Amino acid sequence: MIPPVLSSLIQVFIFPGFIFILSYAMFCEWVSRKFVARLQNRVGPLYTGWEGILQPLADSIKLLAKEDITPKAADKFVFALMPVAVFALPLTAIFLIPIQSLTNLWGYSPIVSFEGDLIIVLFLLSVIILSIFLAGWSSANRFGIIGATRAALQMLAYEIPLGIAMIGPAIFARSLSIGKIVEWQAQSMHNFLSAPNLMAIPVALLLAVGFIICTVCLLAELELRPFDSPEAETEIVHGWQVEYSGKKLGLLRLGHDVKLVLASALLTSLFLGGPIGPWPIPPVVWFLLKTAVCVLILSNASALFARLRIDQMLGGSWRYLAPLSILYIMAVQIIAGLM
Amino acid sequence: MDIVTWARTRSPWLIHFNAGACNACDIEVVAAITPRFDLERFGALLKGSPRHADVMVVTGSVSRQVRERLKRIYEQMPEPKFVVAVGACAISGGVFQQCYNVMEGVDKVIPVDAYIPGCSPKPEAILDGVVKLLKSAGY
Ligand code: SF4
Repeated sequence: MIPPVLSSLIQVFIFPGFIFILSYAMFCEWVSRKFVARLQNRVGPLYTGWEGILQPLADSIKLLAKEDITPKAADKFVFALMPVAVFALPLTAIFLIPIQSLTNLWGYSPIVSFEGDLIIVLFLLSVIILSIFLAGWSSANRFGIIGATRAALQMLAYEIPLGIAMIGPAIFARSLSIGKIVEWQAQSMHNFLSAPNLMAIPVALLLAVGFIICTVCLLAELELRPFDSPEAETEIVHGWQVEYSGKKLGLLRLGHDVKLVLASALLTSLFLGGPIGPWPIPPVVWFLLKTAVCVLILSNASALFARLRIDQMLGGSWRYLAPLSILYIMAVQIIAGLM
Repeated sequence: MDIVTWARTRSPWLIHFNAGACNACDIEVVAAITPRFDLERFGALLKGSPRHADVMVVTGSVSRQVRERLKRIYEQMPEPKFVVAVGACAISGGVFQQCYNVMEGVDKVIPVDAYIPGCSPKPEAILDGVVKLLKSAGY
């Protein structure tokens, strides 16, 4: 038996913590770049490692070794702090998501878990928005500031339907803990397979609607293509990241990759049954498979669509997604009450 | 080869600067990043901000008007940085040589690491030039 201190250190730093998530985040960036390249009839990164699999690693090392410029007019402290926040906050949120337990091959448990950790994840998502805004604002660049305001506008608009849609499975599971939601999904799947009943159909349909709402909102949170006006290269150079270089840019890029993993991990654990699957395969493999599918869905959407105008982007949230998510949560309440 | 050189040569991010080109060279540079030629194979991405870029791709015969801007954009790039001069104009002034308003070449203003001749060079030639630059940097 490993002593508990050592095992929690391993959990936080190696598996399924820091190193595992970072390497998986880089792998996801490679998958999404390759996938988008194939959709555009290209080959994507090719010569860095096998089929370019080391490309995100090479990008990060190069950025870490580059000169780090701080503009004269920037607010030095906030400018240096925010990339760390953008990197650390999604990593913290992933610690709350069940992946694999260290001692039991068939068990899964998040590194930390308590009743209400879904709320903490939502809160961390909002703090990420704030730190992105501050990152752009503190750079004192006119493009950076425009990008930062656009980012805040967009993410706050999509935060609301995202939050409402993520509460849906929590109402069904009658718990605000992500681990319990995963358990509820496994339990009801098991119940359905052993004794099929009609009640499961509306539940599954509602969860599918929630999945779609969440996917659209997460695209906006990640600033992926239909919602990339905060970093629109043709208008505002690179949006809120414009003044960042060297290690800070490297941290921002890694933070974006970790956010991609967080988004697909949230979709996986709230709607796709988390790390649970048929028996002979351990939970971590199911987790990786399901999140990879979510990454493909997200990058497919970003390769298919063109950038929305700002008014379309805002209208899409306030006029369609927010009312839709309220209707959705009402339907969830009714069905959950009937069950 | 140490790991930093490895990373540097495998992830050259480009910024494209038009210093008074007739636009033909620019179209060829843009063609080099289209799906047919796909510079991303070498890890190269086109970046908008000079702060993110490693390699500046300059086209055109640096007019006196653009000289200060070119210098300023160059100074905004973080070290280590490389400059590629694309086209006859960027090398020596090309057809605009001895005009009263041109500098006759990028290297009169900022140091240049690779020259790609042609009026305008084909995308294949631009790719070849970029790869040669990477090789000289230790690819
Ligand atoms: S080298 Fe030729 S094609 Fe290129 S900018 Fe000069 S004149 Fe135009």
